[in-house]
Parts: sequence; C-alpha cells; structure tokens
Amino acid sequence: MAAESKLSPALQALVDKGLFDRLPPTFSTFFFEQIQEWDTLFPAERSYHERLFALIDRSDTALVEKLFEPLRRVEQVMGVNERSWPRRHFTLEQVDFLNRSPHYPEWRKTVADIFAQLDPLLEAEVARKGHARLVVVVAPAELPVGPDRMWLRIRQHGKRIPLEPPEDVADYLPLLLTGAARKDGAHSISAMCAMAKEPYAAWSIEAGGGLSDPGNPSALVALSYDKLREYRARLTNEVTHILKTQEVRGPRQLLAKLKELKIRASEGDVGRDPVLAEFTRATLLSGNGTLLINNTFVEWSTVQAVRRARPSATVVSFGIRNKIKPFTSLLIYADQETANPIPTQMDTLGTYVDLEIFYQYIWQEFEKYAEYRHNTAYLFVGEGMDEMLAIAPADFPLLAAAQPVKLGQVFGTMKDWMNL
Amino acid sequence: MPALTKRRFLQLAGLSIAPRILPKRLWAAASREAQSARKVIIVTFGGGVRYSETFAPEGVHNIPRLVDMKPKGLFFKSCTNAGVLSHYNSTGSILTGNWQRVDDFGFQPPATPTIFEYYRKQTGAGPSDAWAIATNKSFSLIGSGADRTLGQPYGANVVLPKQLLLEAVEGVVKNNAGAGVASRENVLQHLETILSEGYEGVGWTIFKAGGQLDRTVRNTLTHALVEYINGPEAPSSGDELTFFIAREVMREFSPRLMLVNFWDMDVAHWGSYSLYLQAITKTDRLTGMLWEEIQSNPSYKDRTTMLVLPELGRDGDINAANGFLNHRSGDPSCRNMWLLAMGAAPGEIERPVFHVDLAATTAELLGFKAGEITGRPMREILS
Repeated sequence: MAAESKLSPALQALVDKGLFDRLPPTFSTFFFEQIQEWDTLFPAERSYHERLFALIDRSDTALVEKLFEPLRRVEQVMGVNERSWPRRHFTLEQVDFLNRSPHYPEWRKTVADIFAQLDPLLEAEVARKGHARLVVVVAPAELPVGPDRMWLRIRQHGKRIPLEPPEDVADYLPLLLTGAARKDGAHSISAMCAMAKEPYAAWSIEAGGGLSDPGNPSALVALSYDKLREYRARLTNEVTHILKTQEVRGPRQLLAKLKELKIRASEGDVGRDPVLAEFTRATLLSGNGTLLINNTFVEWSTVQAVRRARPSATVVSFGIRNKIKPFTSLLIYADQETANPIPTQMDTLGTYVDLEIFYQYIWQEFEKYAEYRHNTAYLFVGEGMDEMLAIAPADFPLLAAAQPVKLGQVFGTMKDWMNL
Repeated sequence: MPALTKRRFLQLAGLSIAPRILPKRLWAAASREAQSARKVIIVTFGGGVRYSETFAPEGVHNIPRLVDMKPKGLFFKSCTNAGVLSHYNSTGSILTGNWQRVDDFGFQPPATPTIFEYYRKQTGAGPSDAWAIATNKSFSLIGSGADRTLGQPYGANVVLPKQLLLEAVEGVVKNNAGAGVASRENVLQHLETILSEGYEGVGWTIFKAGGQLDRTVRNTLTHALVEYINGPEAPSSGDELTFFIAREVMREFSPRLMLVNFWDMDVAHWGSYSLYLQAITKTDRLTGMLWEEIQSNPSYKDRTTMLVLPELGRDGDINAANGFLNHRSGDPSCRNMWLLAMGAAPGEIERPVFHVDLAATTAELLGFKAGEITGRPMREILS
C-alpha cells in the first residue's frame, strides 16, 4: 500500500499487516479496490469496511480459514491465479473473468454464504446502536387512481391511515413535511433532521423541485432530477460524443471513460461536496435509465443512498413520467424535447404502474439493513389523497388513528418519532 | 403522407445491381426444395423477460397471443439458461448448442459453430436459406462462429433492423428537417438513403461482397421498410421493423432456418415497469403475427417448427440489485424460462430442458449433425 494512503489508521494497519493478502483474492481485491475510493465513501461505508475487516482480523484464524475455504476451492476451479488475478487489482477484466466463468453461479453462492455468516455479527453491532428512522415517499397528485388502488404490492405490511387534507391542495405537502402552510416557509422534517444529526443523515430526493427550500441547511442532502438538468445535459452530450468518436467496447468501458465527468459547482449544490458529487455522477451514469427517466433517478438514488449512506430521515418524491415519443425513443442519449417536435405529454397511467413496483423496491431496500429493521416509520403518501399507508413498528402513534388525521398532526408525530 | 410505391422507392434508391447470388435456374431449384422441406424458426422472445410477467398466473394477461397459442403447441415449463446472462452470449448458446462465454457486447463471434453453418455446409443450402434478423444491434457476428473450418462462408445472413432505424432517425434529428421524426416520410427517406448507400456500416452482412446488396435482397428489404413505415398501427420500434423484415424474407426466400431476435423489452433497463410491460405485450403480438404468417404462407404451413423462448430472464423482485431493471444476479428469475414449440404435437412437458438443447433439436429437425455440442435433442418435439 502506498505511503500516501488516505485510509483510516485502523484500516491502514490491517492492510499493512497483510490481512488482505491472506484472504481469497476474489474477495479481498474487490474490497481493496473499494477502499481506494476512501475520500468519496460515506461515513457509513467507511464504518462498514472498518468493522468488516476488524471482525475478520480479530476472529480465530482457524475459523476464518474455514469460512473462506469453500471460496478458495471455487477460485481454484475457476483458474484464479497470480496471472489471471493480479494481487490488489480488481479491474473490468476481473469482472469479465467472473461473469464468463462457468463456475460464476457457484462463486456467487459461496460469497453469499460467507456474508450470511458475517452479516449477522456486523448487524448485531449496528442494532445495538439503533435509533428511530423515518422514510416518507410521496406520489404526485396527477396519478389517475385513488388510495384504494395505491401501494398494492406492500399494503399488507402496513395500515392505511385516514387523513384530513387541507382545503388548498397547494398546502398539502408543506403541511405534511413542515407542519405549516406554504406561505410560512418553515423548515421541513428532513431539514430539521439534517441540522440535528450527523452529516449525510437526512436526504431529500425528488423528481421535481417542490421539496427544495432556499433556506434548507447545507447539511441536508438535496437531489432533484429537475435541478440537475444542466449536468444531465452535459453528460448526455458527452456520452453521445464518446460513442461517436471513440472506440468503446461496451457499457463498462464507457463508464470507465466517464469516470472523470464530475459535476461542476455551477451545475448543482451537490457539486460542492466531493462525496455527493461522486455519488451523483455514479447514479446518473449507472446505466439504469437514471439520465432518461425522472422516477428512475429518484428510485435509484434512494436505493443507492440507503446502501451507501444509511440516512436517518429520507423524503422521496416522485413525479410524472412523460410519454416516450415515437422513433426518438430509440436515441437513448438524445434530448427528447428537442429531437421530436411532437408535444410532450404526461404518462399518468404509466407512471402509476411504474411507481407501484418502486414503492416495493424502496421499502425492501431499507429493510435489508439492520439500521432500519424494527425502528423505521415508512409513510407512503399521495399528494392530495385522504389516506396514506404507514408501515411502522407497533408503537408508531399514527397506527392507532381511527379518525382522519390532520397533516400537521402527521408532521408532529414524525418530529416526535425522530426526537427533533 | 403521399403513398410511396415500391417501384418509386426502387427508383429513388437507384437499385440497379445485377443478381449475384445464384443463377436463376439454380435459384428456382433451390427454392422448390426449400419449400418442400421441414423449416425451423427460432424466436427469442427477448430482451429479457421474467416468468412472472409471462406464463406465471399473474403474468398471462401480458401475453394473450402466446396464451392462445400454447394449447396448440408443446410447452416446456422449464427451460434453463445456465450460461452467461448477456443477450449475445445467451443467444449464441441457443444457436451453437454450447454455453458461450465470449464478449458480452458482440465484439467476438460465438466460440463454436452455429447451427447455420452446420446446416448449410452439410446440406449444401445456399445463402438465402439461413437468416438471423436481430433487433439487438450488437448481433452482427451472431451468424457464424469462430471455427475456421466453417465460419462466415456457411453462416446466416444477419440483418440488424434497429440499427438501420437508429441511423435513419439520427439523420432526421440531425438535419432537423421540417416536422423531423414526426413525419414518417422523413424517416423513410433516410432509411432509403442508408439502404442505397451506407448499409454496410449499420450491420447488414447479407451476401455482401464489396458493399453491394444483392438486388433481390434489397428489393425484399425495401418492401419491408415501406410496409413498416406505412403500417396501420404507426409502428416505431425496432422489433416491429424486425417483424416486417422477417416476414418479407420468409415470403421472398422461404429460408429453412431463421432466427428472429426480438429485443424491445430490454427497455426495462430504463426503469419503467409500464414500458417493459408494453414491450412484452408488443412482442407477444408480433410473435403471434409471425405464427399467423407461418400458417398462411404455403412455404411454411404444416412444415414449420417455431421455437419461442426468452433468451434470458431478469432479476427477481426480492433481494436483487434492482429487480426487473437488470439481468445480472443469476437468480432463478434470470435463468428459469419456458419454451413454446409450435408445430410440434400439443402438450406440456415438466422435464427441464436447456437453452443449448435448441441447437441439437434443430439439427434433428432439419437433418444435419451439429458436431460436438452440450445440448441434447428434445425428443418430445421430434416425435
């Protein structure tokens, strides 16, 4: 390891004592490569890496050998050696090597088995430090269905809470998220959480710009598909340019070329924070339609935020997807607005179908992690609707509501739940 | 838009190249033989689709045509892709009978020979008798394998309709002419230009030598393009053009062996479940239309086996990276597919079969030997 390493002292010490070199190469090199990006890892990621390798280091050597023995056997059959797998390198070639190996399914299973043994130990540490968390998922007002047709894939896990919407629908979200009418300009629940907790603890992820508040504290991570328009346009143009002018073998090679296309400070507030700048770049260039479709950006950003940053409070707001225009939809990296003179139309029914599965994916993603299990209140809200879905521990007060609840009351409950 | 006749289009395109494939009398003889023999069409119901959105109870409403066809065909409940979960390798495995592990994005031919090569070399079938019509634009090398004793001289004609369409649309958008792509005539004009001038760069490998398309082939493709653009349902997708070209190739050449690769449902990568479902239903419709064409075309009726299967699935909703968006987890949702064999005795088969078994089965159906392959013939189809 180079002397200029920026790893934490604890992890650096483990590297120096050769821990990574003693582990099976396909396991250790992946993580070794990950921690090379130390500067752009979230605190939760850094903590995970430190705890994982500290656990392996302090465990009985014989047990560790036994744990990794099946993986060593698979690696041998796969032909992993110094030549095919240079020490401390995990490149695209290694990814291809794994993917194309006839033993890839076996390798995956073996790695999964290893984590099935390690994760409960790591999660027990997390659970001991558990605290209340909050997730609010907002659906746009234009959906063509009522609450009886909402959240169908997950509603069996929670309870539909009757709400008393305000007379002015423009106040619906402000009352829910700030406890006050729009004109009052109060801080949102996520902004309050950002001010009260550690960095990257509160996220606001949205398709439009409705959640944005000029007075938001800088500690709030605020991602908006709309507000990243300039950056998205630049990425789109760069991708087109690279595809047309350079030899790119495939998406992975393309991603490698795009690694340097970081967001500029002028293209969004997240550009000022190197961790968030890299997060945004990676999210937009993940190849999952995040550049193209607003709600895909919202869903994938949320999933990535959960995996990487483990926020305490997350407010997610979807929008309406536009209809895909004939012919120009073939041009993935073209601006549909300018490429086709046909007027843009909202696809409200398509959006409804899209979101029904995204609610499930988002809820599932949170629940994969010990930080969220048994202590998180999930509120699924449709703007303007007189019901919401709550999935929460039994002691979440709103679960007992029998009469329609005012949105200000929902805000108050969230605030109490988060100890703000 | 004003009607564009085939004659006018041919004039516009300046098609004056002499036929070069076969002398006419041999052509006629070959055509007669081809029309009387058994034929196989492999349809990859693709781009990646899960059981749960197709033949699972909760998915059948997405595929009304296949549901209607199923009782008339032989349905294999379990057809497994045990190979690499990329479109190119998966389709290559179907066509070679061996699990392919080459470049995922089509920069290498399959490592072992395809059924096209075995078929053509052993039977002496001409170049018009084996075709691959593929929406996936990275499939230009799918028509023949890397084995030098066989290879391209015996391979299939490969047509990549979506790439053609992409080039045309891109041209319209760049020129920003009039109503742009809102005008089908604009798109058609660009399609014409590409076909007459620059097809080599967009994936055609049809009988080509020196970059010239055979006249008969070009006429056939031209007719398909005109039909496509003027279609009553205002088609605009790559799979729809693939269908029109496949149908035209069937009508003009009656090939005995053909791959039709549908791919639009890979739009799932964009992260829109509704677009994914729409693509499934569209592919279902096109597959049904292909079977209708087989039933109404005397060269195919009662002598054709159409093998329909997804080349791969997509990640499951539980514990996967991002569910339907991807197909890389290797979980059962990615690997466990179905196979519908039309033209075989009706029934349902519980016995698990594999994607590589299609090559061996096709070899038996068409009467050639497929070399050393992993797959085994599906006797249920042959009986």
